[in-house]
This record gives sequence, structure tokens and C-alpha cells, in this order.
Amino acid sequence: MANRPSYPGTPRWVKVFGIIVIVVVLLVVAMMLIGSGEHGPGRHAPSGDAGGQAAPSTGMADHAPPEGGRG
Amino acid sequence: MIMTPRLRKFALAAHLTCSVGWIGAVAGYIALDVAAATSQDAQTLRTAYLAMELIARYVIVPLALASLLTGLLMSLGTKWGLFRHYWVLISLLLTIIVTVVLLVETQTIGYFADMAADPTTSGDDLRALGSTLVHSVGGTVVLLVILALNVYKPRGMTRYGWRKQQKERKVSQP
Repeated sequence: MANRPSYPGTPRWVKVFGIIVIVVVLLVVAMMLIGSGEHGPGRHAPSGDAGGQAAPSTGMADHAPPEGGRG
Repeated sequence: MIMTPRLRKFALAAHLTCSVGWIGAVAGYIALDVAAATSQDAQTLRTAYLAMELIARYVIVPLALASLLTGLLMSLGTKWGLFRHYWVLISLLLTIIVTVVLLVETQTIGYFADMAADPTTSGDDLRALGSTLVHSVGGTVVLLVILALNVYKPRGMTRYGWRKQQKERKVSQP
């Protein structure tokens, strides 16, 4: 009785692709940690002490930034 | 269930239209995003943010969801399957990730558009908003990777796909 052929294994391109994805994800996480740590539209909301400028006297406070990321 | 050749062609045409259209729509979006990132003119910023929201909400998101749906139909309705080949599985995972990031990003773009639509928002406030370039350019790179995977279809079966293939061979050659 012939033996059942065994699984040939994961192709090399999948392994290389996986390594690239891991490196990219680590780089993004590192950049987020090195940066201000904020990742969202909230970082664009005016802060009174930013650059020594007063907070703009506009309706920005009326616009609550949504949760989530931004680029 | 394997689709008939006629239905398969129709599904493929729909999938190609949505997928390539998605990339094209993002290219148009990036042009506005670059304007939002570089312009100092309040009128340009206001226009760019409003147009970005319209393109994202009414063109990019529907195309992304349609691309995901037609891709699922193509996989399940053809011999490729959804979990049999690495290129299909990776394409599916990347499409899901890009779509989720897009849906989250659409909220941010909506916030920018709300700010731009508000006549009381000053030019300084608009300039402080910035752009979504990192996400839009990053998303385009991922979409191009998915496109390349779908065109080249690199060899390689998953363990599940290989087992299924062996089973089918056993049935066809008893």
C-alpha cells in the first residue's frame, strides 16, 4: 500500500510576505510610540498652549472628533 | 457551489470593475489629500475636505464593500475556494483589513468635512486639520499588493486546500 503523500509545506513567498508584514507592523507601532502617541483626529483639535498660540475662537469645540485613526 | 461559465464571467467582470475602480477612486482621493496636506489657502482646504468626504463616502466605501463581496463570490463559486490557496487567503485578509481601516478613516474624513462646511471655522483651524495621506497612500500600496496577487496567482496551497485536493483525487481515482 502506497504511503499518503505529505503536505509540501508553506511556500517561500508566503514566509517572505509574512516577514515583511511583521516588519511593517512593528515599524508602524514603533512610529506611533515614538510619535506623540496620539492616533486619531483628536490630535488636530486645537490646544490652547500649542506653539504659544491661543485656541482659535471658532466652532471647533462643537465638532467632537470621532474615535478612530487618521493619517 | 461552482458557478456556470456565464455567471463566472459576469462575477469576474463585476469584481474587476469594483476592484480597479476602488484603486482609481483612491487615486482621485489622493490628489485632494495632497492638496489638503500642502495648501495654505482656506478656500482650497475647504473644498478639498468636502470633496474628500463625498468621494470616500459615496465612491470608495461602496466600491470597497462591493469588491469584498464580489471577491467572496468569485472564491466560493470557483475552483479556487476561499481557504485553499495562499494568494486567495492573503488577498481576502488584506481586503478585510483595508476595508476596516477605510471605514474607521471615513469617520475622520467626515469630521474634517464637518469642520470645512462650518462657515465659522477659520483658515488657521482648517490648516491645523492636516490630511489623511499616510492612510490613503498606505491603503493604495496594499491595494496594489492585492492586485499583484490576483494577477500573478503565486503557487502554494494551504494545508486545508492540500487535504481537500487529496480527498478529491481519491474520489476521482478510486
